[in-house]
Amino acid sequence: MLNYILRRILLFIPILIGLVTVLFALLNILPGDPARMMAGPFADPDAVETIREQMGFDRPLHVQYLDNIWNLARGQFGRSYQSRRPILSDLIEVFPKTVQLAVAAELISALLGIWLGVVAATRRNGWADRLIMVIAALNLSFPLFWLALMLQILFAVMLRWLPPSGYGGGFDSFIILPAVTLALPSMGLLARIARAALIEITSEDYIRTARAKGLAAALITRRHMLPNALIPIVTVIGTDFVRLLGGTPIIEVIFSWPGLGKYAYDALVFRDLPALQASVLLLALCVSLVTLLVDLLYAFINPRIRYA
Amino acid sequence: MHSSTRASATLDWRRFRRDYLPLVGVVVVSVFVLLAIFAPFIAADPTQIEMRREQDGQTLTPPFPPNPRNLFGTDQLGRDIFARVVFGLRTSLIVGIVVRGLSMVAGTLLGLVSGFFPRAVDNVIMRLTDIMLAFPVILLAMTVTAALGPGLATVCVALILVAWPDVARLVRGQVLSIREQTYVEAARSVGAGSSRILLRHILPNCMGPIIVAFSMGIPGAIMYEAGLSFFGFGIQPPTPSLGSIISDGRGYITVAPWYPGFPGLVLTLLVLSINLIGDGLIDVLNPRAAEGAGNQQSSI
Repeated sequence: MLNYILRRILLFIPILIGLVTVLFALLNILPGDPARMMAGPFADPDAVETIREQMGFDRPLHVQYLDNIWNLARGQFGRSYQSRRPILSDLIEVFPKTVQLAVAAELISALLGIWLGVVAATRRNGWADRLIMVIAALNLSFPLFWLALMLQILFAVMLRWLPPSGYGGGFDSFIILPAVTLALPSMGLLARIARAALIEITSEDYIRTARAKGLAAALITRRHMLPNALIPIVTVIGTDFVRLLGGTPIIEVIFSWPGLGKYAYDALVFRDLPALQASVLLLALCVSLVTLLVDLLYAFINPRIRYA
Repeated sequence: MHSSTRASATLDWRRFRRDYLPLVGVVVVSVFVLLAIFAPFIAADPTQIEMRREQDGQTLTPPFPPNPRNLFGTDQLGRDIFARVVFGLRTSLIVGIVVRGLSMVAGTLLGLVSGFFPRAVDNVIMRLTDIMLAFPVILLAMTVTAALGPGLATVCVALILVAWPDVARLVRGQVLSIREQTYVEAARSVGAGSSRILLRHILPNCMGPIIVAFSMGIPGAIMYEAGLSFFGFGIQPPTPSLGSIISDGRGYITVAPWYPGFPGLVLTLLVLSINLIGDGLIDVLNPRAAEGAGNQQSSI
């Protein structure tokens, strides 16, 4: 077990090196000169040259690449071209905000999604079930950026119930719109999974037994069905969290949420290689860790899975 | 067509529901495809500018609200949004089919190779998928289009690049289970070569999940194209795209909600309909294919 975890964590290293390599290659074919970007549009050529030398942009690519890997291996992320601050302190500032957003969204989608799934499954055939499944399918089909725009206009501009964008320090009125937007597609997915899992369990013998001995329907749902259905649901929540992290850049940009996704987007727009690289690595590391946790959880729940 | 053998009234209803919703999806998608193909004959010229319009003795300036001439209203230059949407649908459908088709081909080939050939080859391909899957999809796609210069072709390249790993993994998983089947052993024992076994025995038996993955992946490609174009990393004018119309309309959202509204509704309806078809295919072809096949969906 421990061996397996260690091996999986060691596998992160080639993945991260691969990410750096792909990014480095892409960013070096990006049009635009980082030295000129840093110097600003009105700098004279000498100043641009000085920056080029200072930053080492004049060195051969393979030297820059190896230097880059070596710095990352020592935990030196460098300075952002844009903010001129050490990237590590930037990341420490933006990362918790993305975690706040993602956790809030996952909570909303998990609670609402499972509840809707239970309602749909227990009222199978009924209009509530139909309605919930239509809503779930619809939620899975919304383009996230458009949904964000529409919710923003409805609740912030027209109804004036919520602030349109920005960051208010955490779990306050500012987080509601971005978190709900991010949560809606996941909620649809979880409602479907929860419903399917509950329906699957309905045909189990122990449910028939519980029913035969006269237990109330609500009690059967709560005590017998839900705990068993939670097994597939919990693993889906894990993979869903990964999907949700992937959606954060879009939501953060539209709602001006100063998290990791917006940081990475701004870095890309500004051709800020070290900042983009560090934030993509951090996002990827989160994704890899959550995936590992999900796999472990899955093996823990279902001992038939072998560690191959 | 149903493989389910459990007989219960509740499941019958599910069958019914599952049987007519995919049909609705097919009808809607067909309408969209026809609109896209015959766009020049159905819609007005999407580039026709109209800066003023006389109505009831008043002079109006664009954006004009929806009216009999402009079903979806017009944009700030008086261009017909319905026409722009119909031409944008062309781009969406082309991207959806080209991207998903080519990423299916690439992913299937690599998955077949990975599942069938020795550990070393398998390892290389799987580690590559690990790397690609660890990337935040939208950021990778944006970086690729930024690097290659945005446009229809580079959007396709970027989206194929992010889509193939899921397919490769799905196909590899299928191959791993099928290669142990008796009929593969039988084929090998009568002297069939690797390529024959792969193409004639293994590939045909993976087709169910492959078809499902194809249809479930199209909405993802369409949404990512729209998202990239929305952020300016995708299709560039004059090529029409639903994402760029929504992006253009963003600034007019309070005075002309129809401007970003209708393109988004059409996009949602298109994606929803393809998803419904996909759900139907899963039921008909292979229920287990649902896992992993829909991964492309809904992160944008």
